[in-house]
Amino acid sequence: MDDIDAMFSDLLGEMDLLTQSLGQETVPPASVPGPTEEPNFSIGFTDLNESLNELEDNDLDALMADLVADLNATEERLAAQIEELQVPSPPPPHKSPTNIQHCAASPESLTSNNSGSNASTPSSSTTSPFPPPPPKSSKPTMEEIEAQVKADKIKLALEKLKEAKVKKLVVKVLMNDGSAKTLMVDERQTVREVLDNMFEKTHCDCNVDWSLCETNHELQLQRTFEDHENLVEPLLAWTRDSENKVLFQEIGEKYEVFKNPQNFYLWKKDKKTLKDFKDKDKEILIQENFCGTSIIVPDLEGVLHLKEDGKKSWKQRLFQLRASGIYYVSKGKTKSSRDLVCFVQFDNVNVYYGKDFKNKYKAPTDFCFVFKHPQIQKESQYIKYLCCDDAWSMNLWVTGIRIAKYGASLYEDYKTAEKKAAMSSKWTNRCMPSSSNTSTPSPTIKAKSPGQANGHAPKPQPEPFSQDVGNLPPPPPPLDGVLPPPPPSLAAKLSARNSFSKRHLLNKFPPPPSAIDNNLPPPPPPPPVDDTEEPPQFLPPPPPVAGFASLPPPPPVAGFASLPPPPPVAGIGSLPPPPVMSTLPPPPPPMNSLPPLPASFRDMGQSLPPPPPAREVFQSPPPQTVFIGSGAPPPPPPPPPPPPCAATKVVAPRSALYTPGSLKKTPPAPPKRSTPSLHGGGGGGGGGDGGGGDFMSELMLAMQKKRSDH
Amino acid sequence: MAAWDLSIILEDLGPDTPPITLSVSSDLHVGGVIIKLVEKTQMKRDWSDYALWWEQKQQWLLRTAWTLEKYGIHADARLLFIPQHKPLKLGLPSGMTLKVWASFSSPVFQAVMTICRILNIRHPEELSLLRPLEEKKKKKDKDKVGEIYDLTGVLSTSSSPVSLYNDVPAHFADSAEMEAIYKMLSVTQTQPAPEIITKQYRPSSVVDKAHINGRWLDSSRCLRQQGVQENDLLWLRFKYYSFCDIEPKYDAVRLTQLYEQARWAILLEDIDCTEEEMMLFGALQYHIGKVSQSEPERMSTNAAMENLESALQSLEVKMEGGSSSASDMLDTMMAPELSDYLKIFRPKKLTLKGYKQYWFKFQDTSISYFKSKEESVGEPIQQINLKGGEVAPDVNVASQKFLIRLLIPSPEGMNEVYLRCENEQQYAHWMAGCLLASKGKSLADSSFQSEIQSIRSFLAVQKTNSGSSSHTLASDESMNTHSLVSPRYHKKYKPKQLTPRILEAYQNISQLSMTDAMMRFLQTWQALPDFGISYVVVRFKGSRKDEVLGIASNRLIRIDLGVGDVVKTWRYNNMKQWNVNWDIRQVAIEFEGNVNVAFSCVTADCKIVHEFIGGYIFMSTRSREKSGTLNEELFHKLTGGHEAL
Repeated sequence: MDDIDAMFSDLLGEMDLLTQSLGQETVPPASVPGPTEEPNFSIGFTDLNESLNELEDNDLDALMADLVADLNATEERLAAQIEELQVPSPPPPHKSPTNIQHCAASPESLTSNNSGSNASTPSSSTTSPFPPPPPKSSKPTMEEIEAQVKADKIKLALEKLKEAKVKKLVVKVLMNDGSAKTLMVDERQTVREVLDNMFEKTHCDCNVDWSLCETNHELQLQRTFEDHENLVEPLLAWTRDSENKVLFQEIGEKYEVFKNPQNFYLWKKDKKTLKDFKDKDKEILIQENFCGTSIIVPDLEGVLHLKEDGKKSWKQRLFQLRASGIYYVSKGKTKSSRDLVCFVQFDNVNVYYGKDFKNKYKAPTDFCFVFKHPQIQKESQYIKYLCCDDAWSMNLWVTGIRIAKYGASLYEDYKTAEKKAAMSSKWTNRCMPSSSNTSTPSPTIKAKSPGQANGHAPKPQPEPFSQDVGNLPPPPPPLDGVLPPPPPSLAAKLSARNSFSKRHLLNKFPPPPSAIDNNLPPPPPPPPVDDTEEPPQFLPPPPPVAGFASLPPPPPVAGFASLPPPPPVAGIGSLPPPPVMSTLPPPPPPMNSLPPLPASFRDMGQSLPPPPPAREVFQSPPPQTVFIGSGAPPPPPPPPPPPPCAATKVVAPRSALYTPGSLKKTPPAPPKRSTPSLHGGGGGGGGGDGGGGDFMSELMLAMQKKRSDH
Repeated sequence: MAAWDLSIILEDLGPDTPPITLSVSSDLHVGGVIIKLVEKTQMKRDWSDYALWWEQKQQWLLRTAWTLEKYGIHADARLLFIPQHKPLKLGLPSGMTLKVWASFSSPVFQAVMTICRILNIRHPEELSLLRPLEEKKKKKDKDKVGEIYDLTGVLSTSSSPVSLYNDVPAHFADSAEMEAIYKMLSVTQTQPAPEIITKQYRPSSVVDKAHINGRWLDSSRCLRQQGVQENDLLWLRFKYYSFCDIEPKYDAVRLTQLYEQARWAILLEDIDCTEEEMMLFGALQYHIGKVSQSEPERMSTNAAMENLESALQSLEVKMEGGSSSASDMLDTMMAPELSDYLKIFRPKKLTLKGYKQYWFKFQDTSISYFKSKEESVGEPIQQINLKGGEVAPDVNVASQKFLIRLLIPSPEGMNEVYLRCENEQQYAHWMAGCLLASKGKSLADSSFQSEIQSIRSFLAVQKTNSGSSSHTLASDESMNTHSLVSPRYHKKYKPKQLTPRILEAYQNISQLSMTDAMMRFLQTWQALPDFGISYVVVRFKGSRKDEVLGIASNRLIRIDLGVGDVVKTWRYNNMKQWNVNWDIRQVAIEFEGNVNVAFSCVTADCKIVHEFIGGYIFMSTRSREKSGTLNEELFHKLTGGHEAL
């Protein structure tokens, strides 16, 4: 206990620091503080100051909201921890609603009232109150409790280690109309998630063409990020003084190959045939090329202009695209495969469109594309330039190259994007009206009248989630004995994440526990009649990270809010961002079926198995890191509790979600829907990343078995 | 009705025994003939597998209810009373030869199904039998084709699904011998010696490849009708390159044999690939060969924990695992240390001429170097972050050269750096570290040790290769990088030149499991542009020269024989109908948009072409049905031609 107390006070200290750093960030210092820790980090994103300066007021507010949300999340976590500490083995024998509520209440009392945290944290906090799950009651021995505490600590430390390295960037995204949105992106977020986030911020139509693009000013290049890529990594490659930009725009070519596969796979056919191509045949083409054991790359061959190394001249060669790379026919050789010369393989390079190369490089046309390692930012002999005769063939080649490079992920991305688009159009039709209500959800309301969640809960996702958790208490029973109570880990994770950021990365450790309110939202309200039909998958996944305070929650959310009866399920279902769903089919199912304690469980699975990569040892709370993050600490005025806190919290569950990617291989316990006892198994599955999950589910099974024996 | 004499030869009695003569009338049915015959022989035995074969008409008289009149049999008919099942030698893609009982009376399609059931190969419709290439001249010295594994003792279980015991089908689990044979079927063969590859027949042109397709047996007729004799050798091969639902768990034999077929197709240049692709294939073969030898039996399925106690215990172990506090735990998680004196050389920097020695230290995904070990606490002279970089080996064991070539990305471009290691040991560690770091993993990654292992074992290969002159030839032959690539590269590269290239490709795949490696091999194979095309030389109607028709799973391709260019492609889903005029042996196809194509076949019977087209259309219907049962009738309808009618 003492240790934990110490830890707690450390955390508090850290929070102070964070608060200070917050202040700093809002008022950007003239110079970016050099990174003390990792020299090479300096290459990273440097634009912070600038971008902050340019922020519009409401952007600032939004950022602040994010920060506060983070803070709150941390607080909640803390609260959870405290709670846990105080009642190490509170075995709620059975989960009766009352019980739950009681639990819920307690965290609240502990914490001060901070509304901002509301939605986002629920998952973690909720679970925490119930750490010592029911089964425990059957026979919790002292040893078990001790073991648990120990395990908690370990877990906490591990989580911190893991989180310590998570980088976050404040990214300014330029819109078509010249305006910009600023959001915070976590290292682990995929472009898909960021896009979803942007959808919420912009109220655009969410069609599949919306993309994030990176431009390289110096090289005059542009590239559309693939949805499955992580956004932060390529941005970190930008140089300090870079004028590169991130754009949010509709790029028709992005998924054109899935809309009109014949243009790529049968490009040799005449235009009319291609134009009159039947949908049924398109489907067959996609099946053939993307759904077999192996992804088939369009059979491209043609004369392209190649810029010779270091020279200004361009010369023609016959190029061929193969799954293994681009080849050309060397002089005097036949074009049989064995004589082809490899021009480039795709493992280490990305393909970019060149802009205005006629001027810049005296290219024969402006339809150029380029291969380079993502880190290369200036002219270099390692950049390869090709030039096509027309836009059409350039598009053909670039798309073909993307298929060769990304393979199945490309199709997965498309399916996800399509789902997202379909879902959002549904929503807009359906729940437009409600959106207005939701604009400024007050956390307190939520907490107090959980029933509202269905109707108007502004932060749909988190809420449902939390509710689930609350409602389905029986969850972690198996865990109790030896397993470290889930909550702490979650908390640790979140807090750790928040706390450690580098530089512009915003972290905050919030002062004393506040908003726990939503943690234990009362049981899901009775099923509302209206949109019951909505399948859980349709639930719009709220964008994880940065919620902007000023932005009214987008319509989808509203729609979501109205989702009723199966709230828990729905909530959970909705959590996984669509992309995740399609790519990682496994996660959703377990979740849906086994709502209880998914979050905590998952976390466990996650944290357990692979030793966190982080090598710096942060056993105790990370005040130091905080310092790194911020240079000078002007005390920041605590930001107003921003409603849209969805950000951080959501992120947590979500990130947990991905890990299960590996899940496929180790299917968790068979999901049985209705049986509560199964929760455990499901949870394990959901969380399981690799062996950890598996083990968990086994454990669960064992527990259940044992229980039933009694 | 008048009775007449029908003589029937009973082969079992010996070739010289005179035929048995029965007195029959034309309205006697075949079953009656058999009963009379058996009575007359006065032999007590199981005749159930016996049936009458009409020699002149090359036809089985299997409908016992039909009368002699209906069959059109008269006294001059030469009838044989013989068993329907006989042993057959079967050459598998892996090169193994088996002896199995095969039905000589049912259509080849069914015979293959039965064989596949014995071998536990799912989706038998993808396979068929073809006549082997005649061995030319030098057959004399090497008459022994290798051992023949006798599976005639194995009874084909009825049509019920094969049940597995310990991953071995029940009918193989009877004896240790059988189990051993099954293992051989489901495990890849060791790499052939380069000479063997060189000696094998290699098609050198599309026409050569086309000739091979003339050897497929007719699926709708039986073996005996096609002149196959008892104990003849036939090849069992995947014929339709449309592999449904490969599931390594159930498809041990299927996957292995498919891999073998693909591997030989690559080694014998049956399908063309680029040099880079060949190196990857080589690396995969090497890896698969290595793993298949070392991989333990097979993971015991799910060591699921039976009860809570054991589960808890093991958890406890995990938690306590050598550390009682978080800090200890963290310590143990620290990456293994890697630091040493190495020499560095940066070709572009003029300041550093040649290799200079520094104290190097691995940290996370970066390498830092210092003047000396003593100064390693301070600021490094430089830190190199390997993440996202390229790592290539430059190694020659014989001359003790252990270089690691690094291409480190930076905003300005790629920086080339060479690290020189003193010895194999050092090299393996640093190379492994660099490889992991380039993928963004630290030394703490669990694959670090295995990476070191695989690098060392590959070096060992090179050692035996390079030492071939002085060392025993035997060990040299046992593992030679020449055996991983097609003969073309034997001429182009010496083994020691080949090794680093294969090693380079090997880096990316060295951590794959055997199954994954095989799947990867198959995927790479399937992604080749020429994959899955079966060639036939044809003459198009109205054309005066021979051309090549390529038949693939989704399209027909008209190829110019001289240049090898694709002239035209037709997709099946545009096909309205296809017909065969069996009298003039011409195939006519009608596509949407009034496109009509007709051709006669030069290197293969038009039935073979017909079967290919119909077969692929059949394959494409499978996925939709998903029922798991094979629609035999549909297959025959699509491929049978006039005989199906």
